[in-house]
Amino acid sequence: MFGYEFYVDPSRCIGCRSCLQACEECATHRGKSMINFDFIERKESISSAAYVCWHCDEPTCAQVCPADAIKKGEDGIVHSSLKPRCIACNNCVLACPFGIPKMMIPEQQMMKCDMCYDRTSIGKRPMCATVCPSQALSYVRPEEIAYRREKPTNIFYFGSQKITTKVYMMAPAEREAIALDVVDYMWEENHDLVATRE
Amino acid sequence: MTWLRRGSSEPLWKEEFPVRTADERYVTRRQLTKFLVLTSLGMFVGNIWILIRSIFYKAPIYGHQPVAQLGEIPVGGVKLFSYPSKDDHCILIRTAEDEYVGYSQKCTHLSCAVYYSQAENRLECPCHKGFFSIKDGAVLQGPPSWPLPRIVLEARGEQLVAIEVKG
Amino acid sequence: MARAPVSEEILKEKFGPHLNYKPPGGWNDESVHPAEKLVKTHCCFCGQQCGIQLKVRENRVIGFEPWEEFPFNRGMLCPKGVKRYLQGNHPDRLLAPLMRSDQGFSPASWDEALSFAVSRMREVQDKYGKDAIAVYGGASLSTEKSYLLGKFARVALGTRHIDYNGRLCMVSAGTAYKLAFGVDRSPIPWSQIPKAEVLFVIGANIGDCAPITTDYIWRCRDNGGKLIVADPRMTPITRNADLYLPLRPGTDLVLLMGMLHVIFRDGLVDREFISQYTTGFEAVAESVKEWDLRKVAEMTGVPPESIEKAARWIGRSKRAIMMHARGLEHQSKGVENCLAVLNIALATGNVGREGAGPTMITGQGNGQGGREHGQKCDQLPGQRSLADPAAREYVAGVWGIKPEELPQPGYSAQEIMNAIHSGEIKGLLSICFNPLVSLPDANFTREALSKLEFFGVIDFFLSETAHHADVVLAGSLQEEEDGLACSAEGRVIHWQKSIDPPGDARRDSDIIIDLAHRLGRGQFFPFKNPADIFEELRVASRGGVADYYGITYERVDKQMGIFWPCPSLDHPGTPRLFVDNKFYTHDGRAHFNVTEWRPSGDPINEEYPLLLTTGRVVSQYLSGTQTRRIGALVDQNPEPRAEIHPRLAEQYQIKDGDWITVTTRRDDLTIRVMVVKTIRPDTVFIPYHWAGISSANRLTHRTLDPRSKIPEFKVSACRIAGATDESPDDRSAHKNGASRGGY
Repeated sequence: MFGYEFYVDPSRCIGCRSCLQACEECATHRGKSMINFDFIERKESISSAAYVCWHCDEPTCAQVCPADAIKKGEDGIVHSSLKPRCIACNNCVLACPFGIPKMMIPEQQMMKCDMCYDRTSIGKRPMCATVCPSQALSYVRPEEIAYRREKPTNIFYFGSQKITTKVYMMAPAEREAIALDVVDYMWEENHDLVATRE
Repeated sequence: MTWLRRGSSEPLWKEEFPVRTADERYVTRRQLTKFLVLTSLGMFVGNIWILIRSIFYKAPIYGHQPVAQLGEIPVGGVKLFSYPSKDDHCILIRTAEDEYVGYSQKCTHLSCAVYYSQAENRLECPCHKGFFSIKDGAVLQGPPSWPLPRIVLEARGEQLVAIEVKG
Repeated sequence: MARAPVSEEILKEKFGPHLNYKPPGGWNDESVHPAEKLVKTHCCFCGQQCGIQLKVRENRVIGFEPWEEFPFNRGMLCPKGVKRYLQGNHPDRLLAPLMRSDQGFSPASWDEALSFAVSRMREVQDKYGKDAIAVYGGASLSTEKSYLLGKFARVALGTRHIDYNGRLCMVSAGTAYKLAFGVDRSPIPWSQIPKAEVLFVIGANIGDCAPITTDYIWRCRDNGGKLIVADPRMTPITRNADLYLPLRPGTDLVLLMGMLHVIFRDGLVDREFISQYTTGFEAVAESVKEWDLRKVAEMTGVPPESIEKAARWIGRSKRAIMMHARGLEHQSKGVENCLAVLNIALATGNVGREGAGPTMITGQGNGQGGREHGQKCDQLPGQRSLADPAAREYVAGVWGIKPEELPQPGYSAQEIMNAIHSGEIKGLLSICFNPLVSLPDANFTREALSKLEFFGVIDFFLSETAHHADVVLAGSLQEEEDGLACSAEGRVIHWQKSIDPPGDARRDSDIIIDLAHRLGRGQFFPFKNPADIFEELRVASRGGVADYYGITYERVDKQMGIFWPCPSLDHPGTPRLFVDNKFYTHDGRAHFNVTEWRPSGDPINEEYPLLLTTGRVVSQYLSGTQTRRIGALVDQNPEPRAEIHPRLAEQYQIKDGDWITVTTRRDDLTIRVMVVKTIRPDTVFIPYHWAGISSANRLTHRTLDPRSKIPEFKVSACRIAGATDESPDDRSAHKNGASRGGY
């Protein structure tokens, strides 16, 4: 839908898995849910997170596909692999930094979230973002997201790979960026205690 | 053959197998088949049209145009005239006392203007030495493949009138 | 004898629960046979009453589509709402009446089944008196059916014993709000929640039980609001709580009185509001003097600083909302607990203003509508009291009978079961209620049911309770009958009929009306369809507190729901109550009520040193008759798991996933354990949606709140031990399908 963006805010997720259930109710991949849902560490806390495909600007899955089966459309949606070309090699499953693609063994095809293409291509909202009761997944205009405490970002760094995505992640407003590299938190890095390698 | 590509920062494989559908140049079998069929169909239709056109072909009707007066030119002399339109240059030759012939002046080889050679009594093309017979415009020698179109003349009173083009 | 005719295994094999995973025709059928129409209706499950559209084709519901225009949920749904359509076209669906036989249950014709039921009921009443028959109703019945059932019990059967499964839900809050405000309804619509500065949530697992409310709470926080959560467990909304109070089960009253103590001590009261609009303040102020923070902290396990913080945040705010649900109300002090919340609201003046107010979160689909028009043992339409002579006269007049013919108030739900057990009540007609799973002390319930001389059930699946029936009348799902309901926020909404009942199943209202006719009282039931029933309901409720006179189906459709009271056809409805600080009490003022502490009905001791509390999971609804038959929902939570803290697990050398035995004074239960830090170390939590050997209610006790008669589900004494032997295969739910993303 024009003017609408997808925002993911795991801090709002209540673990109801309504997204998981509704995902398989859309028409593109009926009966198969494409949501990635996790309890972060259920023993320690009730935190949970649900993710959709991030529809990267330069999708890693498409770049590693040996059969040129993964395409990104003009509206920015990265689709499931093209069935005539996919050889079920799992390269994309391994390569995606977010762990999104799912290999469907019986169909011998990689399938993943395509933002409910049957709905978004005709001006409806994707199933997961429509039903999410806490709006941890939401599909709204940027003006509406501006009211939230968190701010959207779509830049990720995985090692030396910088990834920009179509789907936004909501991050705490006070921080410019959140370091996911362990090194940034290590005390030793800042205190010269450990001898560096020659 | 990488040196054939203009300077690009993208590796070759990224250009050849673009991720974005908008950048794709891949032609599907369906597209190719469609193209072949449509082109073939188009040509077929074209041929039918040509056939129909030739069935309904009408010979052009020529107007009558006076080109000279009798006795205007001497025997062995020529006069240039335009028939049927002002762009169709023709040549009139008095071959004998009472004999006049007229031909299109466009050489049938490459359209140079032919002239009358009194000495050889034939029409000659200066460009490639094509010679035409004065009697019927047939090719005597040279590169031209077809005879010169003949202008049919009629004497009406004191006038020579061109009435049609033959050939 | 209402014992199950054959073994449970045989009945389960024939009648389920079996799992339905796919829409009719399979997943891909819809692309070949698209839906014929979309019906705008509401979810059949909880009290949030989310709007939803059902895809209908050839008299079957084949899928759903979000209804984004409905203002309450704006297209949002929880997983139960997403998958509810799979309850239709189900292999377990009862397509014809059943009668008990030696082989179990055999199909019968309607005539046979209905005449049997009527003749048996007459026999019981002739032999033992009119009150020997009781009627059980439910809060998932439409408002019309709730009203119809109340009239049926009193006018057709002439019994005083009618009550409903909402007795296990809203009655504590209802009693408290009636005492304080004179009306039993949420004082605020949900649209007020984002406007609050402080949100105090106590005894309410909003993330699992009312998921759609979560977005309202998050938006309140986006606007700068602060969230306080008081619960023995860290429920999903706690992840964003600004203050978490780890409340010991059963001590809610102490916490609330402690907070009130701080509010009075620090002068955070709204003196003007109190003097102008309330009574009874001095007595309450006096009564909380003894509840100093040290004492409160010792009893509740909540640090004194946290109690002070919570009290000050609420006391200093002019826009504080206090939300509570069954955690607070399922106690033998359920009424007191709610009254304490109301005392706080009144003391700080947080009533009637924008973004302020106490509110109860109604749990059941039509829990609000079902407790307004006579389905309760002491109630008449319009939220009138059955004991009030003026009310009796008016309603009797509407019904065309003499006031003396109206029975007096009767027993509540648990009391009816007690009376069945003691032999006082001999016959039972039940609809929309599965007491074997939902009443406490399941073994007692089973014993009681076996003593019934007549047991008739109206249902669409053969529930565990219905295994004991003599006759089962095949009724209708929510999508098969038109009607109105009232949501948790007091909004009257329209349940649009989508399809006709399949096979030989009939609409519930038709069955009840047919029974009434066969009992010879047909002249009082001249209804052909729900709209006729509603027309009478409008008149019967007129002038009562829950005034429906101005509501019509068209108005409800047009305005996307109407908030009652709506006394006339041009009245817009009343979204927010007490706007001008006028209350529905006899003196027009709100009342403070003194609350006194007493221990729970099942005290802990050396033999039973731990506290057991029961509750829910997000993928199951109530007794699970419907949701335990939907494959995707069962996969989400395949089996009940007991939650315990690692410290407690260490004490008994229990690891995550082990089988343990939980024992109370009633029974023991062998169950798999989930070791998590998100619960108090002295507490065990078990969800109750399962039946038979997995039923948590085998452990709970029958102590009732003396005023509301609600059972004390949330506080029992128990002990745990590692299970000594490996559990047999049929204890695990893996038989029912592979788990997918379980716990």
